[in-house]
Amino acid sequence: MEFSFSSSASKIVHSTAFTSLESGDIIMLAVACLLIYLAIWKKFEPLLLLPMGFGCLLANIPMSMMASTDTGGLLNFFYQGIKHEILPPLIFMGVGALTDFGPLLANPITLLLGAAAQIGVYMTLIGAVYLGFNMQEASAIGIIGGADGPTSIFLASKLAPHLLAPIAVAAYSYMSLVPLIQPPIMKLLTTEEERKIKMEQLKPISQTVKIIFPVAVTIVCCLMLPGVTPLLGMLMLGNMFRESGVTARLHETAETHLINIVTILLALAVGSSMTADSFLRLETLKIIALGLLAFSFATAGGVIFGKIMCKLSGGKINPLIGSAGVSAVPMAARVSQKVGADTDPSNFLLMHAMGPNVAGVIGSAVAAGVFLSLFGDAGSGIDTHAALAPIIGTPEPGMQALATIVEAIKK
Amino acid sequence: MEASVSAAVNVSILAMSVIFTVLVILIFTIKALVKLIPYEAPPPARKVSSSRPPGQDDQVAAITATLAAHMGKRPDEFRIINIQSR
Repeated sequence: MEFSFSSSASKIVHSTAFTSLESGDIIMLAVACLLIYLAIWKKFEPLLLLPMGFGCLLANIPMSMMASTDTGGLLNFFYQGIKHEILPPLIFMGVGALTDFGPLLANPITLLLGAAAQIGVYMTLIGAVYLGFNMQEASAIGIIGGADGPTSIFLASKLAPHLLAPIAVAAYSYMSLVPLIQPPIMKLLTTEEERKIKMEQLKPISQTVKIIFPVAVTIVCCLMLPGVTPLLGMLMLGNMFRESGVTARLHETAETHLINIVTILLALAVGSSMTADSFLRLETLKIIALGLLAFSFATAGGVIFGKIMCKLSGGKINPLIGSAGVSAVPMAARVSQKVGADTDPSNFLLMHAMGPNVAGVIGSAVAAGVFLSLFGDAGSGIDTHAALAPIIGTPEPGMQALATIVEAIKK
Repeated sequence: MEASVSAAVNVSILAMSVIFTVLVILIFTIKALVKLIPYEAPPPARKVSSSRPPGQDDQVAAITATLAAHMGKRPDEFRIINIQSR
């Protein structure tokens, strides 16, 4: 083979990605750098936005085979974890292992605040339909109001996979902005007297109740909304590890190493779906705007319901804990504490706000379950045998073979 | 468009009703659990009473170390239970 310096140099130049770089890729590389900047210098959900931004960076380098759609590429394998609903439920297991449901059990009425905050989901649903999205897409966008990243990703991957990237980015960006978005709304909707209300100390809860609770939630919620079982079931399993007292190693793994590993895979996979084709669209801007609407309405819904409960309880409930009904745990509860302490430094609302905060996690998962029941394929008779046929073989010939063997034994 | 928005409003009302129903069932479940299995405070931890008056611990440690060296034993092989001053 004859070696020519000029032809070899030309070949190397043509094999670089520069020749394939398009304007869309350049814009997405800038978006990736922006996410990395926000994560590192502005501390916006850095654990998620940093790997997400880097995943976006990798996915938009032409010829790198790192986009979620590049079959056989590294991040395509990670993306299978989202596509096949593996990673979000594993995150939920870690969240369950980290969550203490004690404040909720001590004051179960605060579950209603977690339900009320879901109003943000439905106001956004209506807004999204008004802006031209179909019902499945609007549901996936609406769940941003649940302020729950894994639930948003889970639902988007089932109902609107083409909108996964903007929905995930909007959900996590606004979650990191909870301390900025919520306080003005909370102050606008409450009086100073309401913000000063001191709540009674929470009663202690039996450990047995804490152990039975995950089983009870799983039975009640998953029987009513089977579509949400992967999320809620894993959340409760993680909490079972925590409360049972006999699985210390599993609890430790779920709340530390497992959730960290899955976070890396999930964020990289989401980042890899942020390509120019899927992200640089008018829909993305609409979703970003609707996300802000979702968080604002969710906060307002929780606070207004908190005011109603305050009136009904004779002033025993501080309405500020209602804003914690959005599930961003524990950031939303900390915001309730901070706004309360700003008015009266001796008022400690944190533990009271943790009740609606964890109720918000359950509430947003239930909201997702309702959407799946209405618009997904959950419970509509998935042909499991057909789905598994490529792996385990067609069941009918297997049954025929078994019948033949039984006949032979009989003879 | 109006039909779609109207459908979205209906879906929202239905879904909020379902969420409140599920969570109200959970509230009653929790209340029943808390009522059936009330919290019992753990028994207070027993205080380990020392027969030695306060301030003798240093003396006991010094005597233990000296005796251990004298007897050629480890300090944990014997125990000083009382010191009487004359």
